[in-house]
Amino acid sequence: MLCLPAAALAHSGEFAKFNYCPSTTTGVAHCLISVTNSGEIILGKKTTPIVNPVTLQGGYSEENSENFSTFYAATNGITLSKTKEPVPGGLLGIVPPESSPPLVKLLSKFFFENELTGINAVLELAKPASEIKLSNLNLELEEGIALKLPVKVHLENPFLGSSCYVGSSTSPLIWNLTTGVTNPLAPNKAISGKAGFVEIKEKFEIVQLNENSLVENAWSAPAASGCGGVLSFLVDPIIDTEIGLPATDGNNTAILNNTIDSATVGSVNAH
Amino acid sequence: MKSTRHIAVLALAVVALASAAMASAASAAPAWKFNGTELAGSETIVGAAISSKLTIPGATTECAHFLYNMKISNSAGTGKGEITELPLFECTASGSCTVESIAAEKLNWPTHLTTIAGKDYLIIENIRVGIKYSGSLCALSGTLTVVKGTAGGLIENETQTAKFNKTTFTATGTSLKVGSSSVEWEGLFPTEGFETHREQAIEG
Repeated sequence: MLCLPAAALAHSGEFAKFNYCPSTTTGVAHCLISVTNSGEIILGKKTTPIVNPVTLQGGYSEENSENFSTFYAATNGITLSKTKEPVPGGLLGIVPPESSPPLVKLLSKFFFENELTGINAVLELAKPASEIKLSNLNLELEEGIALKLPVKVHLENPFLGSSCYVGSSTSPLIWNLTTGVTNPLAPNKAISGKAGFVEIKEKFEIVQLNENSLVENAWSAPAASGCGGVLSFLVDPIIDTEIGLPATDGNNTAILNNTIDSATVGSVNAH
Repeated sequence: MKSTRHIAVLALAVVALASAAMASAASAAPAWKFNGTELAGSETIVGAAISSKLTIPGATTECAHFLYNMKISNSAGTGKGEITELPLFECTASGSCTVESIAAEKLNWPTHLTTIAGKDYLIIENIRVGIKYSGSLCALSGTLTVVKGTAGGLIENETQTAKFNKTTFTATGTSLKVGSSSVEWEGLFPTEGFETHREQAIEG
């Protein structure tokens, strides 16, 4: 027997994918689940491919006069799945500047020149789900902002502690993702997203967008914070040097290749 | 109300006028002709679909009244023009959706004639039709669905129609899309002169 958290609704068939949609919440008109199956995050000098699926799920309102919908959090609290993406090369190769104090050099050797230097990057929401903005119209027309996502990147490694982040709730990475063409500062160049192919399923009750690609390469990233626990004042600068942080507009990229399903709450609640 | 009245006027015009010879000669750069004579100046063409439907993958939308108003002229021996009006009326959708509104956007749409493999085609560019679906179970509801692109229709002099379908789209290399998905448009439009060539058509 399938056991779901108390907040979940057990919908049937194809609609089970919307089990964590707040479909009975006032203001929610549609349910959405978007699975990012591939893509990459370039943060300063580090490129992390998306090899493990990342899920964005929840509900959204009707569009306002500017064609944007407000997002509502998933009922299980996992609006954006905390999926670990291995950072190629881990922390190997981190070399503190020659001018660094001896203690920093010693710490760098201890932290990064060992067998446990693998590091994962985990994308997390930096703001409440209500700060996510969605424009289906812009997504479809391949122009303007389709999805505004405030995020932070959690760098996970036994030596970095549990609070090593790039971005925060007060200084989030703001991704104004588009299916159109970006307009970044140099050295980045314009890149294009794609609306994707529409498939109508379940007698018009589910719309699926396949091969959707949301891109953004005009965002900035602050310096790392909280890395190495109490030694963060020493470790953060090492991480910053390795990754190239803070990284201004034109030095970072997010490419999310997705499959997006949506349905009205009427349909979801009827199944 | 205004658009309703306008549709009525156009529909009456279509009924009242006999078919004018509107089609082009088969050449590399076809021109608009009436009764074998190349059009001088401009003319207004009015058409109402004999049949017309749009199919977004899995979802079909049909309109009982699908009219168009096109201003045409010849430029350096080539037929040019622009769609100036495209009133759509009494439209229905399949499945759980109803059509709340449908409208041509960003008119005027440029048109031109071209000949491909000995056949004359009417090419309509910059097409943009916004469809608002509704229905509590309709997954397309809430957001404007925008069909956009270029359409190529075969001009058939014998039947005095412009026919748009998958075959004519393929022949002309044109496409209409929603997002990245191709949209099928099937339409058969009789074509009538409305201004200077109105009398000729009645004689015909």
